[in-house]
Amino acid sequence: MKYFDGLNYYEILKIPENSSFLEIKQAYRDAVSIYGEDSLVTYSLFSTDEREKILKIIETAFLTLIDGNQRAAYDRMLMDSGQSDTKFISGQSQKQSQPVFDPGKAANDDPLAADATKQIQADEEKQLSDEILSKSSVSGNDLKKLREALGVEIHEIHSLTRISVSVLNAIEENRLESLPPDTYLRNFLKLYAEVLQIDPLKIVDGYFKHISMVQNTD
Amino acid sequence: MTEIYPIGGGKGGVGKSFVVAGLGALIAKWGHNVVVIDLDLGASNLHTLLGMKRPKRGLNRYIDKTVRRLESVAVPTMIPNLFFISSMHCSMEIANLLHAHKLKIISAIQKLPFDYILLDLGTGTNFNTLDFFLTSKEGILIGTPEPTSIENFFRFISAVYFRILKQTLKRSEFHSAVKDAVTEMSSAPAGTHDILKIVSKYHPDKVTDLKNKLSEFKFKLILNQFRKNMDSTLGNKIETVCNRHFHSNFQFLGNIRYDGQIHDAVFSRTLYVHKYPHTQSSSDLKKIAEKITRNRRPTSLPKEIS
Repeated sequence: MKYFDGLNYYEILKIPENSSFLEIKQAYRDAVSIYGEDSLVTYSLFSTDEREKILKIIETAFLTLIDGNQRAAYDRMLMDSGQSDTKFISGQSQKQSQPVFDPGKAANDDPLAADATKQIQADEEKQLSDEILSKSSVSGNDLKKLREALGVEIHEIHSLTRISVSVLNAIEENRLESLPPDTYLRNFLKLYAEVLQIDPLKIVDGYFKHISMVQNTD
Repeated sequence: MTEIYPIGGGKGGVGKSFVVAGLGALIAKWGHNVVVIDLDLGASNLHTLLGMKRPKRGLNRYIDKTVRRLESVAVPTMIPNLFFISSMHCSMEIANLLHAHKLKIISAIQKLPFDYILLDLGTGTNFNTLDFFLTSKEGILIGTPEPTSIENFFRFISAVYFRILKQTLKRSEFHSAVKDAVTEMSSAPAGTHDILKIVSKYHPDKVTDLKNKLSEFKFKLILNQFRKNMDSTLGNKIETVCNRHFHSNFQFLGNIRYDGQIHDAVFSRTLYVHKYPHTQSSSDLKKIAEKITRNRRPTSLPKEIS
């Protein structure tokens, strides 16, 4: 039996070094589904002690990579010790606005091994995002629905973007009176869209359209 | 080039013989010369799943030296290019095969003039099964998506490792403490990890060699009797976990959907993929067979074997 000897946190979670926030989260969920206590896959493979050790490592990897500052420090450590490809410097080349709903990506090249549950989930997410992106106006409620479908918490967006939770709530609840000035709002919406890996331009335009629609009906 | 695939998996009733018959028939239909060998000694019934009556000759004639070459006991099946070697006529004590006979059979299998050789192995992890499994450098494990079956997967892999280690470590140059770890006399069953630890203590230079020996062997996995609404990623997860935590290379070949008609085919003693070529299960088997042949074209023209 081999454990995680010699693997770095990215390798343990099986993700590339430029993974986005969402990819890290998904990888963590996948790892727990394999190594968790109720997992059909490994329940007979590891003793309780071994499982606890493994889960602890996975959790540490996740908590380090999900936190911007800790991740940057970890990446520096990897680079300094020559374990990392210098091309990837966290924060700089980190994938940001690559659409996660790329249809080519969703189609698995191996239909037999295709992950049906994940597929269904991905399809639902894609449908939802398509629906929202196809609308000319995007409400705060649309954003909230999409964020929840992706399993992202509001405080996670806050910790990644440094946008205050009260502003994020105001955006999602369409509370026009609490929104920041347009220049700020534009930037906030862009960051928000990037975390969810959806087209920032469409979100910014759609949201502003929504606001003007609401104002005109008043 | 001949490719030999022993097919085992530990647990009984998971459909090893069914899969062997199906894969053999499909690969033969694509023009390859294929032989399936029933090595479930003492419990053979592969012929039934091939839709055959009791074959007239079998492995026994090779063991008792009536024939000199193993291929002489291969009989044709209803599928052109698909041949079958039965162990049906072997003595009632064949399950306890003599070691010398076993080695003779293994070396004869390795010399058989076919493109694909599929070995239908028995249940469990007894020495015969493990040694037949090690006839090749790669083998197929079949299970069902159930806890008991998955448990037996791991058990089987560990038993194969143990067998490989034991064959190396019982040689004279190893320290007695190492030998003790792999003999039946040892009080606690030792896992690969423990054995390698002991070896690294007495023969630190040999550890890499041993690990390489284990990593030389390739495992392929199939989940049979797969039902709707089951986690279709289970096989991929097992593949991931095995690749990470065992030393060898593991490839998940796919799920085979459960079909009630399989039962009917067994009852009517017909070859399922031949009678029901368009079912989900047959199409699953086909995809797996494609992965095994890697869409290789037949290299030789079918030979007549009398």
